[in-house]
Amino acid sequence: MAFFEQLAGNLIYGAVLGSVYGLSTMGLSLIFGVLRIVNVGHGPFIMIGAFTAFWMFALAGIPPLVSISVALVIGLALGFVIFYAVIRRLLNAPELATLLATFAIGIFLEELAKFFWGPDHRGYSWNVGDINLGVTIMPYSKIYALISSIIIAYLLYMWFQKTKLGAAVRAVVEDSEGAMTCGIDVGRIYALSFAIGIGLTVASGVLVTLFVPVGINPYMGHEYTLKAFVIAVLGGLASPWGAFYAGFIFGLIENGSYTLLGLIPGVEPFSLTRFVAFSILLIILLIKPTGLLGGGSK
Amino acid sequence: MKFSEKYSSLIPVMTVYALLFAIGMTVPGMWQPVAFIMFYITLGQAFNIFLGLTGYVDFGYVAFLALGAYGMALAVQNFSGLGIGFGVIIIGLVLAMIMSSILSLAVGAVALRLRGAYFAIATIGVNEGFRYFVEGARLWGGSEGIIISGSMRKLFGRELSNYISTFVSDIFVFAIAVIAAVVTIIILNRKMGYALMAVREDEDAAKVMGINVTKYKIMAFIASASFAGLIGATAWTLKMTYVFPSDVFLITYTVEAIVIVMLGGAGTLLGPIVGGLIYGILKYYLSIILPGFQLLVLAPLLIFIVVAFPEGVVGAIRRKYTGEMTRKYLK
Repeated sequence: MAFFEQLAGNLIYGAVLGSVYGLSTMGLSLIFGVLRIVNVGHGPFIMIGAFTAFWMFALAGIPPLVSISVALVIGLALGFVIFYAVIRRLLNAPELATLLATFAIGIFLEELAKFFWGPDHRGYSWNVGDINLGVTIMPYSKIYALISSIIIAYLLYMWFQKTKLGAAVRAVVEDSEGAMTCGIDVGRIYALSFAIGIGLTVASGVLVTLFVPVGINPYMGHEYTLKAFVIAVLGGLASPWGAFYAGFIFGLIENGSYTLLGLIPGVEPFSLTRFVAFSILLIILLIKPTGLLGGGSK
Repeated sequence: MKFSEKYSSLIPVMTVYALLFAIGMTVPGMWQPVAFIMFYITLGQAFNIFLGLTGYVDFGYVAFLALGAYGMALAVQNFSGLGIGFGVIIIGLVLAMIMSSILSLAVGAVALRLRGAYFAIATIGVNEGFRYFVEGARLWGGSEGIIISGSMRKLFGRELSNYISTFVSDIFVFAIAVIAAVVTIIILNRKMGYALMAVREDEDAAKVMGINVTKYKIMAFIASASFAGLIGATAWTLKMTYVFPSDVFLITYTVEAIVIVMLGGAGTLLGPIVGGLIYGILKYYLSIILPGFQLLVLAPLLIFIVVAFPEGVVGAIRRKYTGEMTRKYLK
């Protein structure tokens, strides 16, 4: 029965980690949904959030849960600056131009981080005790990450559903020309959505630090860019909520398949897990490009 | 159009190649930078056949280079005992082309049904999936990769194998660049070129006009991929004498290829050369002037160029100057 205990433990861990995956992908989906831009430099923004958490903790002893709001503000500011400096000028350019620009922005962030903070791995430990769940022992910090992700996602949902500005964003997603004729300042909605997308991503980077075993470094983002692509596609690419749920699914698949693949002799289960993830991505793209969770961007 | 007029745009391209070659051969110490720049020009030239002509952004392009690299490594590893000497390298080149073409056929048949961002993400999936399959299932040496320096030395002796990795491999890259440019111009001048132009402008309209869209897209994809395979076999395996999955599947190379095509102007013959020159020279000399900080300078520069010339440098020139000379020599 040890195997089933291990599987159950890994699945619980997968779901908890999945909530952070989901949160970290919402920004990517929001930006694609509203601006039709794939942010190829997604991961480096997570890295910025991770370093925010690290420095707040290392210099001032501020716990990560408090740093989330700081990271959100940093992310919003970054988002507005990048939108008005670069993205706004490329809205009508070929797709290639935005792919390249966002990638270059990602590299720039990484190199700035390396310039100021060095290339080495850094870590901090925020120890607030463990909880025994029967099949596994889980640190409270990870449980808090799960709760924070759900709260942030819920707040965003309420903002979209209950406020005028949120309704305007939804209108632009639905039909940007129609929204314009209704008197919505589409340019402003683009800026706001981009900034919120980046803000969410940077904020999620804070929570990511609670899960990285080897610490953080300027190049940690790549992995999350690729995972975010898979998760975003799972969730329908243009839907932040779809992405949030898909994060859970991805976390479960990743950790569940790791346990199962570990049973096959002569393979590296860690790499095969990723192979499984990307195979799922391809299968979903081929049979249901609008995402596993039904609908589209609505 | 007369034959000479059809192919006149090859003249500036070949002039650049010849100049680079001459500089590399005559100026002492210049061979290495020339080969470095030539790698990027060739990469851009090969990628342009697909990305430039169809407008589809393949983010997993590096997978074709990787398979080419493995093709050459496998050939050297398995056939070095046959006693056919240089024939092993020929087999390696053929194997590289076959392996990357087969992958492109498989990916093309499936992923080319997707468009835009969906295609880009699917191709990332293929590249990463393949890499982790090689590592996870311990295929072709798994994450330890294949090291061929021993077999090369046994095959050719120490001196000749050094010569192959420091000089002959670069000559191969030059040759690939020449062939790729010729193939590009042939495609541009034939029905396939016009069909692909129609696809790039409006795929649905092209379909309605009776163009076999899928056929031409896959043809361009396979052509582009087999050139990529050749680049991987020569510029990586023969030059480095090892293949590690964590190196050859690196998405950075795809992005570098996109940067080059984009900088110069997608779908133009001269574009990848202009892009490759700009990118290669900047990267090489920045890494000498500011070692370790080249990307810190390069990234904002790229952002600036993208914002200033969203259609690439050659694209911008063609838009500005529409005279006879431009039409003739800037394709």
